[in-house]
Amino acid sequence: MPQNDLMARSIPTSRCTPQEETSMNQHSMTVRGKDRYKSGVMEYKKMGYWEPDYEPKDTDIIALFRVTPQDGVDPIEASAAVAGESSTATWTVVWTDRLTAAEKYRAKCYRVDPVPNSPGQYFAYIAYDLDLFENGSIANLSASIIGNVFGFKPLKALRLEDMRLPVAYVKTFQGPATGIVVERERMDKFGRPLLGATVKPKLGLSGRNYGRVVYEALKGGLDFTKDDENINSQPFMHWRERFLYCMEAVNKAQAASGEIKGTYLNVTAGTMEDMYERAEFAKELGSVIIMIDLVIGYTAIQSMAKWARRNDMILHLHRAGHSTYTRQRSHGVSFRVIAKWMRLAGVDHIHAGTVVGKLEGDPATTRGYYDVCREDFNPTRLEHGVFFDQHWASLNRLMPVASGGIHAGQMHQLLDHLGEDVILQFGGGTIGHPMGIQAGATANRVALEAMILARNEGRDYLHEGPEILAKAAETCTPLKSALEVWKNVTFNYESTDMPDYVPTPSVAM
Amino acid sequence: MRITQGCFSFLPDLTDEQISRQVQYCLEKGWAVNIEFTDDPHPRNNFWEMWGLPMFDLRDAAGVLMELTECRKVYGDRYIRLSAFDSSHGWESVRLSFIVNRPKDEPGFRLDRHEVAGRNIRYTTTPYAADRPEGRRYGGL
Amino acid sequence: MSMAATAHDVSEAAPTDQVDLRREFNEVGIGEVLDQLDRELVGLKPVKTRIREIASLLLIERIRKRMNLTSDVPTLHMSFTGNPGTGKTTVALRIASILHKLGFVRRGQVVSVTRDELVGQYIGHTAPKTKEILKKAMGGVLFIDEAYYLHRPDNERDYGQEAIEILLQVMESQREDLVVILAGYGDRMDKFFASNPGFRSRIAHHIDFPDYTDDELLAIAERMLRDINYKFSPDAREAFIRYIGLRKVQPLFSNARSIRNALDRIRLRQANRLVADLDSVLTADDIISLEASDVFASRVFLKASSGA
Repeated sequence: MPQNDLMARSIPTSRCTPQEETSMNQHSMTVRGKDRYKSGVMEYKKMGYWEPDYEPKDTDIIALFRVTPQDGVDPIEASAAVAGESSTATWTVVWTDRLTAAEKYRAKCYRVDPVPNSPGQYFAYIAYDLDLFENGSIANLSASIIGNVFGFKPLKALRLEDMRLPVAYVKTFQGPATGIVVERERMDKFGRPLLGATVKPKLGLSGRNYGRVVYEALKGGLDFTKDDENINSQPFMHWRERFLYCMEAVNKAQAASGEIKGTYLNVTAGTMEDMYERAEFAKELGSVIIMIDLVIGYTAIQSMAKWARRNDMILHLHRAGHSTYTRQRSHGVSFRVIAKWMRLAGVDHIHAGTVVGKLEGDPATTRGYYDVCREDFNPTRLEHGVFFDQHWASLNRLMPVASGGIHAGQMHQLLDHLGEDVILQFGGGTIGHPMGIQAGATANRVALEAMILARNEGRDYLHEGPEILAKAAETCTPLKSALEVWKNVTFNYESTDMPDYVPTPSVAM
Repeated sequence: MRITQGCFSFLPDLTDEQISRQVQYCLEKGWAVNIEFTDDPHPRNNFWEMWGLPMFDLRDAAGVLMELTECRKVYGDRYIRLSAFDSSHGWESVRLSFIVNRPKDEPGFRLDRHEVAGRNIRYTTTPYAADRPEGRRYGGL
Repeated sequence: MSMAATAHDVSEAAPTDQVDLRREFNEVGIGEVLDQLDRELVGLKPVKTRIREIASLLLIERIRKRMNLTSDVPTLHMSFTGNPGTGKTTVALRIASILHKLGFVRRGQVVSVTRDELVGQYIGHTAPKTKEILKKAMGGVLFIDEAYYLHRPDNERDYGQEAIEILLQVMESQREDLVVILAGYGDRMDKFFASNPGFRSRIAHHIDFPDYTDDELLAIAERMLRDINYKFSPDAREAFIRYIGLRKVQPLFSNARSIRNALDRIRLRQANRLVADLDSVLTADDIISLEASDVFASRVFLKASSGA
């Protein structure tokens, strides 16, 4: 039985008792036969949207919602309503259901558990038949699952926490245009995280000045520089200016170092036609990578991913706007779902948190996002917020990007939290270096290489990190001054989105 | 200039002891280590010459170092790098690559700009060393 | 953790002037290996004694290094001489384990080869083959069985000589990287060393493996049977004692290996005997018991009687 399954994996800090769960999950209330289609209003849980005996098929899409019913609303009914409103139901019984194989198309809520330590919130597991969805369309998938139901009145709040995407559905998507392995082969960079920086200030630099920053950072030792999400084509710098100067900088830095370099040229624009035009120009100039923003929409993202695959281009995605719906724990869509959708949609890079930097990100939850991006199989890990086993069926790996408020002095922590297949973006940590941008870039590169060397030698780099960095700084003045300037910079705030299940040492199973 | 391809080019040149530790790390991961050399360090020159085949089934870095010593005797005037290959499904490519030998003098690259329509420029990067025939670069003959 | 933690740490650790010998012995864990050797090999007293001596010498050598009384890498290459089936390969495995625990080799694997894996068929083939094997053996023990086949005195152009030269060079210059054990029949090894003095001078320990006595061979047989849940009936045991006496004097006798082969054939005959009577009901005792008739059906007895 499913709930036993969860209990077996769940972790004892949960306050809900097994009896409570069992009593919640025991009965199907579905009305069958003639009575089901009598005109009028009927509770969702009686219409077939609550089926506690249902065992999800391997081909079903499963969604896990955090449901917060209005006071006095039965959580089972609220969960059944979510299943109904995200599939076939409307507010009243319709006879036209009887012209269809309605039972197949009805989403089935098969389990409702109280959320540990969160009174009034419930996890609802809902299974959807594969035939409810169009092949290879995030637009269709999201319109179905989150299309209408989030504004449903009987709910105070609703959050899509996780999804299990069946292999049959995963296989209908292209997936990342390039993938981690091929990106590394093209860039000729192996065995270490890649390094990047976002050009600062965000706004106001002319194309010529902007290119200067790119050249200095790349020549100093970074692999990539990056446009910011809102660098598109503004009065201070139109996009062609930026592209031309940036490519001069990239080529000059390549010749100066003998390494492949790239700069994420942001092609985000008002229309698809404009985006294609910008992407074509980036390609004509020989760029290895372009960039888009999440706000262009799922369909535009999928189009650009196909374009990128056809044109040997790495596709960077900035998750602009995501916090409006990912950050609050009770309402919206979890970023792990967005990460899954973006891996299907086919981008190559996605910002996925830094743990130690300035932006939101609890370590365990962030680890869950990184696993979603990088592994071929994600086992259920409630302590990382991963609720389902997910097979990716050899879909390319998606490179996570860590960006925002990180610096060279944290290199050991970054490597420990985020691993090797990640892009570390030190914007301020490069451009704000007291000795200049090149020195800032060099400091980061030296810190990184020293840390990788130490890790591979089997040293306890997490604990010896500061010592390893200090040693490397002996022969690298830029690193020495970086460590000095940013030695006390940390961002320790309470996270707003943490896993509901926490491992404790005394698991008595 | 100093070519900064590979994983550890921003650090002082690795000693043989340090190289051994990196190789041992690779061997313990089950990766096969390959020695490659070139006198054409263009950043898009992927296929450096192979010094024999990748070394499979080694237990200890001394075996790789033995070959590296031999390779340096013959091609010590060129770039030599070690690359470690991971054959596991879903990767099946290089996992670590770093330079272990460099020419005494690294003249670097010429950047040619070819102005075309509008303000576009076609860029070509050429190693200065490649002006001479293969085998006679970097002071060889 | 990797390289430095094994062979090199001996010299890198801060010098000491006092060592608790028992603690040292227990910490390196060679006692277990020596006990294992005692348990798993019947007889071989002189060999076991020699191994203990070598282990003691190396333990002291390790301490001398710690006390900064020596910095040399000792020569550890060995020769194992004796007839086939006298336990040379097994002892090589234990020696590798002892060397590893004491920090004289870094990994402790044994790469076991014969001439065919070292010597090529045409010009330019031998050096890469020999090096390939050497690279795999680095950090452990290279065991060359019937090493004398490397040397073909009748053929001056034999490629074996090339392998010998590479081996000699590595045995000298990379003593900290691997230990070579040359093995084979005693008389042939003597001739081999006589014509290749380079090897003789690089070998630190010669160990001679005597043939097993009849009693030891019987004990080996009974131990092998016990391990796979078989036993001799009292008659079969007597028959097997006679078998050993006859087999020993026949050609191609190879000690424990011949015993194993004989047991395999006896089990075959036992199975055949049991299956011949499909109507019988078998007990566990029937299944595990080898009978005298299973032993006597051997050709060894046939030859013995016809020869007599």
